[in-house]
Amino acid sequence: MKLSEMIGNFRSDPVGSISQWQDKRFLWIFMAALSLFMVILAHSVFQVWLYMRPCEQCVYIRLAFFAMAFGGIVAAIKPSNPALKIVGYLFAIWGSFKGVLYSIKLDKIHHAAHSEDIFGVQGCSPEPTFPFHLPLDKWSPEWFKPTGDCGYDNPIIPDGAQLSSLQKAITDFYSEGWYLWPPAHFMNMAQCTVITFGVILLFLLVAAVCWIVTLVRKRQSAAHEETSGYTGKLA
Amino acid sequence: MSFKFLKTIAKSFALVAFFAGTSFAFTEGTDYVKLAKPIPNAQGTLIKVFSYDCPFCYKYDKKITPNLVPKLPKDLTFRPFHLKTKGKYGVQGSELFAVLLLKDQKAGLSDRDLYGPKSLLKKAKMAYYTAYHDKKERWDSGPDAYLKTGLDAVGMTRAEFDKAKTDPKVKALLKEWDASYDVAKVQGVPGFVVNGKYLIMTKSITSIDGMLKLINELKTK
Repeated sequence: MKLSEMIGNFRSDPVGSISQWQDKRFLWIFMAALSLFMVILAHSVFQVWLYMRPCEQCVYIRLAFFAMAFGGIVAAIKPSNPALKIVGYLFAIWGSFKGVLYSIKLDKIHHAAHSEDIFGVQGCSPEPTFPFHLPLDKWSPEWFKPTGDCGYDNPIIPDGAQLSSLQKAITDFYSEGWYLWPPAHFMNMAQCTVITFGVILLFLLVAAVCWIVTLVRKRQSAAHEETSGYTGKLA
Repeated sequence: MSFKFLKTIAKSFALVAFFAGTSFAFTEGTDYVKLAKPIPNAQGTLIKVFSYDCPFCYKYDKKITPNLVPKLPKDLTFRPFHLKTKGKYGVQGSELFAVLLLKDQKAGLSDRDLYGPKSLLKKAKMAYYTAYHDKKERWDSGPDAYLKTGLDAVGMTRAEFDKAKTDPKVKALLKEWDASYDVAKVQGVPGFVVNGKYLIMTKSITSIDGMLKLINELKTK
């Protein structure tokens, strides 16, 4: 479909168009890929390569992204299949909703840790408690065991570690912690993830509602045709 | 009309605030929780569970606890408990803190003096806090390096410490401190426990005075 055609369709029937889009694979794969990208970036680049250790809320945020990735993959198997899509929606909406909550909490902790105003938050638990009591930190400590301090994400370089010049430059760049733009302390990690989760959650809710509305419309028009056919016969 | 309506709302809010201020304003579940496993022999105490490895403990020890402890009700004894399960050197930290606390007590320091300039416990604790949190020291070379930071801060030799930690009193204190784990599990550290039974929800603390009010209420429970 051409872009101009897509825009035209969307203008004439926005709900129907959105409903059609969520029947295609692309957006589901895109969401799954974006979620996996965020987790892998956090783990493999920032944690392993740059020694920025995750705190309690950070590992919960990872779980939220994994839930969204899982939902996206399941739905992408066959998006026109309602059962797969419902599973996809449930995981993705749950993940993005929890992600928003975890990120808001992390932002509050981050604020308290970096200011004199420490009231109103609590410290991190020495042991994470995952939803449904999943022992993720035991199954995969590399990904889910919090090793960092509550509200801090500065690189902590082990004694004797030999840094490449690139590693040195980047760890210096992030020496005050993770920010979208570290020199200005602009947007901490929690603020960035809350936006990511929030935008995806919004899209998911809109898509789900459009899908349901379209289903209801189809059913109604089918019922309408049936009755009109019936009355037609009578006449 | 809308103005009158607003006034009524404002009045009722004021009334609610008034009653909230005068009556018992604290509720179980939001301001404090009852520990499922109370700390034994802790009647008449305020226990503070802390860890050298926790940024909020450092913040509390800088700003809150030193101002809180002198204002505590007279019939409440302040007792610090170090959590050995948090941090790579939690066990070593506990041993050293226990030795130093007993040394402080032997020197005649009361529980109210533990934030004073004479307290060895305070000196060592602050040395660890600044090393860990400000200088990002992680003592990767091992427990000896970790102990050196605290021992240097109080001017104690390693031999003295190794001897002191075999004291049965130190061992008994460490055993008491093991109760810290069940407290820390509830909502993390720092954790404040009144009479060994009521854990204050740190999240709901908004000022030192508010915290004192809550402690006063809980101690009579």
